[in-house]
Amino acid sequence: MTDADVEAILENPPFAQIDPAGFKRSLPLHDIIKNDARIVGFDDGDIIVRRGDWGNSAFFILSGNVRVGLERGKESLPDEILGRHISKVKTVWEAFAQLWRNNRVPEVRKIASSSSKSTLHTRHTHNGTRIYLQEVSAVLDKYHTARLETGHWFGELAALGRTSRVSTVFSEGVSQLLEIRWQGIRDILRYDQNGKLKQYIEDVFRERALDAFLRTDPLFHDCQPELLKRIMEQVEFHTFGNYDSPKPFKELLEAKNHTTDAGEPVIIREGDFPSGIVMIRSGLARVSQRHYNGRRTVGYLSPGQIFGLDEIRAEVQSLTPVACNAQLSAIGHLNAVLVPTPLVEELLKQNGSTGSEDLHEAPIRIPAADNHAIKINDDTLLSQLVDHNFVQGTSLMVIDLERCTRCDDCVRACSTAHDNNPRFIRHGPILNQFMIPNSCLHCVDPICMIECPTGAIFRDFAQGDIIINEQTCIGCAQCASNCPFDAIRMVDIRDSKGNIIVDSQTRSPLTQATKCDLCIDQKGGPACERACPHDALFRVDMQDAAQVGEVFSR
Amino acid sequence: MKHFWVQQRIPFLAFAVISLMILAGCYLFSITLAKTSFASGTILLLCILFLASYQLRKKINFLPLGSSSAWLRFHIFIGFLSFVVFAIHSKLQIPNGLLEFILFLTYYTVFLSGVVGLFLSRTIPYRLLSRGEEVLFERIPVHRRKIHDRVKVLVFNNTESDQGTALPDFYHKHLQSYFEGPRHQISHILHSERHLHQLKQKISALQPFLNEQEQVTLQQIAEQIQLKDDLDYQYIFQAIIKMWLFVHVPLTYSLIIFAFYHALAACAFASTSG
Repeated sequence: MTDADVEAILENPPFAQIDPAGFKRSLPLHDIIKNDARIVGFDDGDIIVRRGDWGNSAFFILSGNVRVGLERGKESLPDEILGRHISKVKTVWEAFAQLWRNNRVPEVRKIASSSSKSTLHTRHTHNGTRIYLQEVSAVLDKYHTARLETGHWFGELAALGRTSRVSTVFSEGVSQLLEIRWQGIRDILRYDQNGKLKQYIEDVFRERALDAFLRTDPLFHDCQPELLKRIMEQVEFHTFGNYDSPKPFKELLEAKNHTTDAGEPVIIREGDFPSGIVMIRSGLARVSQRHYNGRRTVGYLSPGQIFGLDEIRAEVQSLTPVACNAQLSAIGHLNAVLVPTPLVEELLKQNGSTGSEDLHEAPIRIPAADNHAIKINDDTLLSQLVDHNFVQGTSLMVIDLERCTRCDDCVRACSTAHDNNPRFIRHGPILNQFMIPNSCLHCVDPICMIECPTGAIFRDFAQGDIIINEQTCIGCAQCASNCPFDAIRMVDIRDSKGNIIVDSQTRSPLTQATKCDLCIDQKGGPACERACPHDALFRVDMQDAAQVGEVFSR
Repeated sequence: MKHFWVQQRIPFLAFAVISLMILAGCYLFSITLAKTSFASGTILLLCILFLASYQLRKKINFLPLGSSSAWLRFHIFIGFLSFVVFAIHSKLQIPNGLLEFILFLTYYTVFLSGVVGLFLSRTIPYRLLSRGEEVLFERIPVHRRKIHDRVKVLVFNNTESDQGTALPDFYHKHLQSYFEGPRHQISHILHSERHLHQLKQKISALQPFLNEQEQVTLQQIAEQIQLKDDLDYQYIFQAIIKMWLFVHVPLTYSLIIFAFYHALAACAFASTSG
C-alpha cells in the first residue's frame, strides 16, 4: 500500500475514530496499516473466505458488497462449488481391491483424472488463484445469504480467536476490501485509547456467538433470560499467550512476574480469590499447584471447560470467601470468557431454587484442585503430556510399550490403507511406558491450518479430522513448518508410471504435504488401531477426560 | 497373578465348559457305537482353518471385520480348544503310520510354537522397555555402525595426538569383534550381564597403564560399550519376537496340506477302516 492509500483509509471511519496519540512512536497507526494491511479487489462471485478454513486476517469492506452464506433456513453452500474435497468412504470392493490396485512406487497421484472431474471454477489474479462462484444470481436464489455493505467488518472473530471461519463470504459485484493481518488488529486493539474497535469486536461476539457458547455448559442450561442477558452484558473477554506458536513466547519467558516457571501467562494465581469463573473459548490451560519450591501440573482445561466454579460454590455455601487452591495458566494461545463472581453466585442460587443444584443440602467442601480439569493419576506423566503439548490432540496416537511386540502391523495397515504409503513413523518420545509416535494429533487448535494459501488442509466437518486435499495442495510446506510435532511430511509426488512429477518451467520436483488422515476414506476408522493384535495402540481424544483416564491410568 | 486369573475368568470358564461339552459329546456319540473320529476330525479341520484365517485377516485389516486384538483372543481360544479336540481325535496315542506321524508332529510343533509365541508376546515387551533406547529393528545396524565409528574415532584420534598404542591394542584385541555385530545373544536371553562385567574388568585392568587423557578416552569407550550392549539386548529380543512367526506360519500351511490329505485318505478308505 502507498502512503496515499493509508492516508485515505485513516480519514474515514472507523479508522478516523482511532486515537493515533496512544500508539508508540516506533509503531504508529499509519505504519501498522501500511505494513499489516492490504487492499484487495474482488470480482463478482469471488470467494473471499470459506466456511471451515482457518485464516489469520480480518476484512473491512471499503467499497461494494459481499454476501455471507447463512446456515439457517435454506441449505448452505455445497462443498463442491467451494472447491472443498468431499471425503468418500471406499466400498467393500474398493477396500478389498487395494490389495492389488495399490501402486508399487511411493506417492503416486492421479493428476489427469482429478483435474478433469473437478467442478471448481478458478480465476488467476496478480494476488494468486481464486475460486469463484459461476452464477451468483442462481446461488443467491438457491441459498440463504445475507448482505454486508461498505463499512462492515468480517472475519475478525476467527482471526483473533484462532477458530475456523463459520461462514463462506463471497463478493457480490465488484468489491474492494481492506485485509488486515491479526497482528495489525492486535496492535490497534492494544494502543487504541478510545477502544472503539475492541468494543466493536466484543459487541459482535456478544451479539453473534456468546449465547450459544455459554449454553454449551450445563450451568447455564436453566438460566433465566433476564439473568442471561445481564451475564452477556457483563462478561469480560481475555486473551493470553502468543498467537503464532503453541510454545511459550520469548517475551513471556522474560517477564518473570506474569508467568509460571514454564513461561506460561498466569490467568488466576493459586491463593487468589476468583473474580469470576473462567470459561475457555479456545486454546488450552494448565492447572497447577505449588509443590515444594516448584509447581506440579494437576490437570488441564480444554475449550468449553470452566475454572473457579467450585470456589464460588463453596463461597455461596459457607458465606466466606474461598481462595483458589490451584493456579490456571495458558498453554500457548488462549481465549477465555470471565463471568463475574456476583453473577455466578446469582446463577448458583437460581439453580439451587429451581432444583438444578442443591446448595444447602450438599456438604460444604473446600474444592480440590479444579474438579473440572482433565486429570491422570500419575502427575509426572500428566505434566509431561502438557509440557510436550500432546494435550492438543483430539486423536493422539499412543502405543503402550508394555504390550507392543513391535510387530509393525499398525504401520503395514496404515501403508495398505494409503496406497502403500505409511502416514506415520512408529518412533517418538516415550513417557513412562507410552510412546507417542510421529503421527498427526488432529489438534484442537490446528496451527498447521493457519496460512495455508489454498485451504487445502482443513478440518472435516463430519468427523472433525484434519485432512489434506491432494487436489489443491500446492506444496508450499507452510503447514509442515507450522506443525510443532513434525507430523506433516513433504514428499515428491509421482505419476502412475513412477516418474517424479516436475514443474514444467523450473524442472524441480513437485512436492505435496502428507500426514495421517485417520483413514477417513476407509470403513471402520483408523486402520492402525484396528490392526494392533495386542491392544497396544490407541487413538485418544485428549479433551475426553474418561478416555484419557482409561488409557493413561491402566 | 491373581489379577490375571480374575481378568481371564470368562475365557477360562468358556474353555472349560466347551471342552467338557466336546468330551461329553464324543462319549455319548461313542456309546451309540458310531465312529467319533469323523466328527472330531471335522471339528479339528475347521478349527485349523479358522486358526489359519487369522493370517488372512491381518492382510485385509482395512475391511471392517472386527479388531485384530479380538481376532487374536479368539485365535488363542480356538488354538487351545483344538488341542483338546486333537487329543480326542488321536486318542492320546502316537500314530504309527508315516503320514499320520508327520501330521501329529506338525500339529504339535505348530501348537507349541503358538504357545511359545503367546508367552513371548506377553513377556518380551516388558524386557524391551526395561533396558536400552527404543530403536526400530531395521535401524539397529545403522545405530551399531554409528557406535562403532564413534569408538574408532576415540581410539585412533587419541593415538595421533599422544603416540600411545595401548588403546589401539586393546581395541584390536577385545573391542573390534565386539562392535562389528550383535554379540552375546544367549547371555541376553538368559538376562546375564557376565560378558559385560568381564569386559569392564579388562578395562579396569588396563587403566593403571594409561595416561590421564587415555583414561578419559577409555571412560568414553566404556560408555559406548554400554550403549552397544543395550543395542544387542534390543536386537536379540526384537529378533526373537519376529522370528517365531517364521516357524509358526509356514508350518501352519504345511499342517493344512497334511490335514487335507489325511481327510481325503480317511474319506476314501472310510468303508475299509476300522
